[in-house]
Amino acid sequence: MAAAQEKITVYNVADLKNTSDDAIPNYLNSLKFTQSHRLTDVRLALGYSAFAVAAACFLWDYKLGFESTKWATAAAVIVYMVLNGALTFWLLAVEKGTVYVGRAPTGETVRIATASERQAAKGQAPQYRVTAQVEGGAGVKGKAAVEKLVFTRSFAEWFDEAGNFVTPPFQSMLARAVPVVGKLDPKRVAAAPAEAEQKTLPATASQRKEAASSSSSYTPELLDALAKNLSGATPAEAASSSAEPGSTKKGGKRRKA
Amino acid sequence: MLSSLGNPRQAAAQLMNFGLILSTAFMLWKGLSVITDSPSPIVVVLSGSMEPAFQRGDLLLLWNRNLFSETSVGEIVVYNVKEKDIPIVHRVVRKFGSGPNAKLLTKGDNNLSDDTELYARGQDYLVRKDIIGSVQGFIPFVGYVTIMLAEHPWLKTVMLGIMGLVVVLQRE
Repeated sequence: MAAAQEKITVYNVADLKNTSDDAIPNYLNSLKFTQSHRLTDVRLALGYSAFAVAAACFLWDYKLGFESTKWATAAAVIVYMVLNGALTFWLLAVEKGTVYVGRAPTGETVRIATASERQAAKGQAPQYRVTAQVEGGAGVKGKAAVEKLVFTRSFAEWFDEAGNFVTPPFQSMLARAVPVVGKLDPKRVAAAPAEAEQKTLPATASQRKEAASSSSSYTPELLDALAKNLSGATPAEAASSSAEPGSTKKGGKRRKA
Repeated sequence: MLSSLGNPRQAAAQLMNFGLILSTAFMLWKGLSVITDSPSPIVVVLSGSMEPAFQRGDLLLLWNRNLFSETSVGEIVVYNVKEKDIPIVHRVVRKFGSGPNAKLLTKGDNNLSDDTELYARGQDYLVRKDIIGSVQGFIPFVGYVTIMLAEHPWLKTVMLGIMGLVVVLQRE
């Protein structure tokens, strides 16, 4: 059946964010991105060496007592505080919410950071803010261009009311918003429902901005249907606008004239 | 949630979070220990021998450096009897001589006699080295948790287990 069907509580914003964060490497790696684990590895190295210092301190204190190991313990405490400080600095200043760093098969380096935000108006779903930094690869004139895309979408676009994570709309969201991903996954870009006011897929930067800021075209009923039919149904069964929620359940493409 | 543990880096990161909580708590304790120069800078009152000043379950904060003056009569000190690991909190009532080899006699405020019977066989007095700190402040009642953990050691395992589960399963 569904490969990664995760069911979480929709009221837990941390779960919403973490589930979405976990889906990004799965998706991008399936598009043959090569993931770079450098950030995670440095974090693990700092954390575990701090832990090792503490463990060593514990051992010599346990075996030899306090008096004879006082100075070594003092040194260990200072080293530990320095390592812990370095780890905190790494998390806050370097990682800054990055969840994925990878290299596309076309050569660009993509770095994705995410954050969750509470929606300002009451009663609306929390938002998922994605910052994608793309460094141009081969074929870019002159210096490598660094493109920074920030877009915010509501979690309700890819979570249904029961808390199931629905993969196609999430992947479409990424494919539409980040052109590097979109190039590699035209199926998801094409499958995304056309906005009410535009007829072509977002290709220019201004159209991308429009797409990113407009409201969701996936209705709750559609998400439920998608969640149930993840095995073979194409996401192209989406309605073209949210004005007709009931028409999608029969399947098949429906387009506004 | 648990499925994310299939990724080894993520499992390592979650484990690291839990480990860092433990090690930070431990290093803070050791840091306090080094600053106060006391092997046990925070002790719990176990008996009522210092009533009405200290009750059973009070948490005492110790300082073991003689920066301004020597340990003198009237100070409340904590010492371990030789070969025993139980800290005793009593008041210094007599001092003979001065310097690091001065002989000190202690007595609990609520006891009828001095501590001569409590000292090890053949030991009639304390010296400064036996003392692990003098009381600078206290927090009432808080120490009862430690007394419970000491008298029911299985509570420690339960507490640690719950803490571990909560941290590993929650990725905030």
